[in-house]
Amino acid sequence: MAFTPRGRGGFGGGDRGRGGSRGGFGDRGRGGGRGGRGGFGDRGGRGGGRGGGDRGRGRGMSRGGPRGGRGGAGGARGGAKVHSKVIVEPHRHAGVFVGRGKEDLLLTKNLTPGESVYGEKRISIANSANPTNGEDAPATTTEYRVWNPFRSKLAAGILGGVDDIYMKPGSKVLYLGAASGTSVSHVADIVGPEGTVYAVEFSHRSGRDLINMATHRTNVIPIVEDARHPLKYRMLLPMVDCIFADVAQPDQARIVGLNASLFLKVGGGVLISIKANCIDSTAAPEVVFASEVNKMREMGIKPREQLTLEPFERDHALVAGIYQRAA
Amino acid sequence: MAARGAWQQHPLHKYRQKRRSHNPSREIATAPRESAATQGRSCRSSPQTRAEIEMGVFILSETSAGYALFKAKDKKLLKGGESLSTVQDAAGALKLKKFTKFENAVTALNEAAALSDSKVTPLLSKLLEDLKDETKASLAVADAKLGNAIAQLPGLDLKIVSDQSSTSEVYRAIREHLPSLIPDMVPAEVNATRLGLAHSLSRHKLKFSPDKVDTMIIQSIGSLDVLDKQLNTYAMRVKEWYGWHFPELAKILNDNLAYSRVVLKMGFRSNAREADLSSILPEEIEAAVKAAAEISMGTEISDEDLEATSALAEQVVDLTEHRINLSNYLSSRMQALAPNLTQLVGELVGARLIAHAGSLTNLAKSPGSTIQILGAEKALFRALKTKHDTPKYGLIYHASLIGQATGKNKGKIARMLAAKSALGLRVDALSTWGVGSEDTSKEPTEEEKSQLGRDARATIERRLRALEGKPLKSLANANMVPVAQKWEVKEARKYNPDADGLTGDEPAAEKTKGQVNGTTPKKLVQEVESGSEDEDVTMGDAGADTSDSEAEEPTTGTTPKDKKAAKKAEKEAKKARKAERAAKREAKVAKQAAKEAKKAAKGTSDKKRKHDDEEDKTEKKKKKKSKD
Repeated sequence: MAFTPRGRGGFGGGDRGRGGSRGGFGDRGRGGGRGGRGGFGDRGGRGGGRGGGDRGRGRGMSRGGPRGGRGGAGGARGGAKVHSKVIVEPHRHAGVFVGRGKEDLLLTKNLTPGESVYGEKRISIANSANPTNGEDAPATTTEYRVWNPFRSKLAAGILGGVDDIYMKPGSKVLYLGAASGTSVSHVADIVGPEGTVYAVEFSHRSGRDLINMATHRTNVIPIVEDARHPLKYRMLLPMVDCIFADVAQPDQARIVGLNASLFLKVGGGVLISIKANCIDSTAAPEVVFASEVNKMREMGIKPREQLTLEPFERDHALVAGIYQRAA
Repeated sequence: MAARGAWQQHPLHKYRQKRRSHNPSREIATAPRESAATQGRSCRSSPQTRAEIEMGVFILSETSAGYALFKAKDKKLLKGGESLSTVQDAAGALKLKKFTKFENAVTALNEAAALSDSKVTPLLSKLLEDLKDETKASLAVADAKLGNAIAQLPGLDLKIVSDQSSTSEVYRAIREHLPSLIPDMVPAEVNATRLGLAHSLSRHKLKFSPDKVDTMIIQSIGSLDVLDKQLNTYAMRVKEWYGWHFPELAKILNDNLAYSRVVLKMGFRSNAREADLSSILPEEIEAAVKAAAEISMGTEISDEDLEATSALAEQVVDLTEHRINLSNYLSSRMQALAPNLTQLVGELVGARLIAHAGSLTNLAKSPGSTIQILGAEKALFRALKTKHDTPKYGLIYHASLIGQATGKNKGKIARMLAAKSALGLRVDALSTWGVGSEDTSKEPTEEEKSQLGRDARATIERRLRALEGKPLKSLANANMVPVAQKWEVKEARKYNPDADGLTGDEPAAEKTKGQVNGTTPKKLVQEVESGSEDEDVTMGDAGADTSDSEAEEPTTGTTPKDKKAAKKAEKEAKKARKAERAAKREAKVAKQAAKEAKKAAKGTSDKKRKHDDEEDKTEKKKKKKSKD
């Protein structure tokens, strides 16, 4: 049985085991804490207790909006300019690249050269040996976009050393919980013009950004619907090769199971990012992960591996599995 | 089951089934789940029946390009008889009966939108008319709700199969091998239609977003909060800036709006005599301002300086006006959108609750216990983790009913209020006024809409009175925006020196007071001295004093509210005048004691400054509270 919970491999950062150090509040090991849940709720005390916290997004802080202020410790991406001395190598996963420079960067090949989706850095590499940088990429250069693992669970998973991401150039991917389409744009880069990403997002506010992103990338199909009701978008989907789910809902496993039974090929891959706090904030994260994995089994998904997203996200796990249907 | 089996052979069978299809509610309850099983049973039990009557199995498949109707070659297809994994299998098992293409993108959008809502469009019903001649045929539909809608179509004698377990395999196969099953469809074209349809469908969805009214409330409450903060910073800045020119004004006028207006109207302090401030200030305060301007100790400023200051003051005036408009807008919106919630907790708290939940429907779906602690998530999760007591209230704390309760009762009232709010919210969010009833023309009045909320509020008030054990007046205007008065000038809060600890060097402080920064002397000292020195120093003022109060007499008799305000103003004016006198007097005294004072001033000025700051802070706090 290939299913083994594992620590993180890959490069950068020290091994923290599986979300181990948890005891209570205040041990935010990393720089740039997350500020709890939007700075709310000090018992509604007099005068105070009203602070800012624009929670208009509906799904809580961690969705959609840019998570500024983090990444100071591990990434230092803020200062990463487009280096002239970056060598791009293909990653183990097809469609993903690694930029070797002063710091190592995770890259995807930009599908729409000359455009950033969410203000990320771009790196142009001349197809000949000598690397150059520039805003407009002539025909002889290839443009890559930097993929920030602090903003994307999938990128965090790849850096964490996930065995298989089940998506490669030409794949069809169903992406549940697409939010504003930042991660989706990178997945679209991975699958390339031959593949398709079906991006499902329920929030209207984020859906707006998603649609805007999708207008520039014809391999992204935006769907503003509730992933709980996959039948509502049944006419838009063929069978897909992979489902990536980042929905952060208590019934996440069920949502994935429903979608898999309708749209996922037998033998297709499932990647679920689980946020322990969203499912049960009182139980220990390990327990939550284990119960979610069990639920996946019941849904006909054979779990392959589980890894923590530790230096990038707190109490998160990425679970990969294979859809078998008749479990 | 047995009875149903019997129907199949009974001559009346056809009739009964027709009747069933006319009775939609029963159809909904029974058809999808039982049909497959029943069919199986009847087939096995009576093979010759099945042979005699032709029973077709049809499958309706919706694609982005059009509706496809397949006929299964094998009637057991829906029972999961054979595998459909390969193209050959699928093509062998399914035969395309009809494919209705969507003519253009607009049709596609309309059809897809209807499908999302599980509605039967004319195009679909036209397609299904082909099945009119089929008797005892079954039709597989992916969406159970759509299946029910189809079952209600007149003239169709179909058994709808829409349960996931029997249809999913077929639909997976169709989805997998779509291009090979439908000859008209080219893979590239399928992708193009999918992309186009997805975009137009999503845009359509965003365009007709159902919770756009909620968004207005959420945005306006957010904007109101930002505005309050901004307004306060601006007003403080104006005071600080103009204070260099006319420091006494801030002590006389505490109201930000009035202060800024005076700055705009008066400009330089030297214009105070001529300036007509009667439209901004009550008479006695105006007099105080003018008097203070004469003896002010502020620095001189240039035209340019004043221009810059006035620009900021203008901002304050504009923003204040905007804030009033916005708060009126919010309250009218809240009254319309959630009348019951507004009755119970007030517009501001109600709006905050809605903003926190994301939309009115979301909030209406949450139970009372959730509403009670909405906004106290951090405390809640901490309590859950550490197994401590969970918080008693969140945003709802600012509701006036909870404000009226004391001590332990606060928690109880919060619980009751939250429970009642949950009820009221459901009425607000889910009621279809007049639509549900037979008489659709009769729309209830505003009063009737908020009846539940008002009753609940009265109940809670009664409960609170009983709990507190004392008569409690019901505040009619408790949740309303304060009624705009002509004079919105708040009483200037004086620093209370009694609250200070005595340091032992009072005499020095007393002497230097007038000189340090020219602010009004401390109350304590003022009262001690005013009695003895008033007569000989400023007789004229005393005369003016009496005449002023006489002149006020008739105006105060209008309403109790006005009276109160007038009294307040009068008091204030008196204080201000006293302050002036004291200042003058002290200027004299100070001259004599100038030398000692200078020494002492250095020591105490810092201290004084600190006090002023503290005072400002408390004022801010007070304002915030009053807004709630």
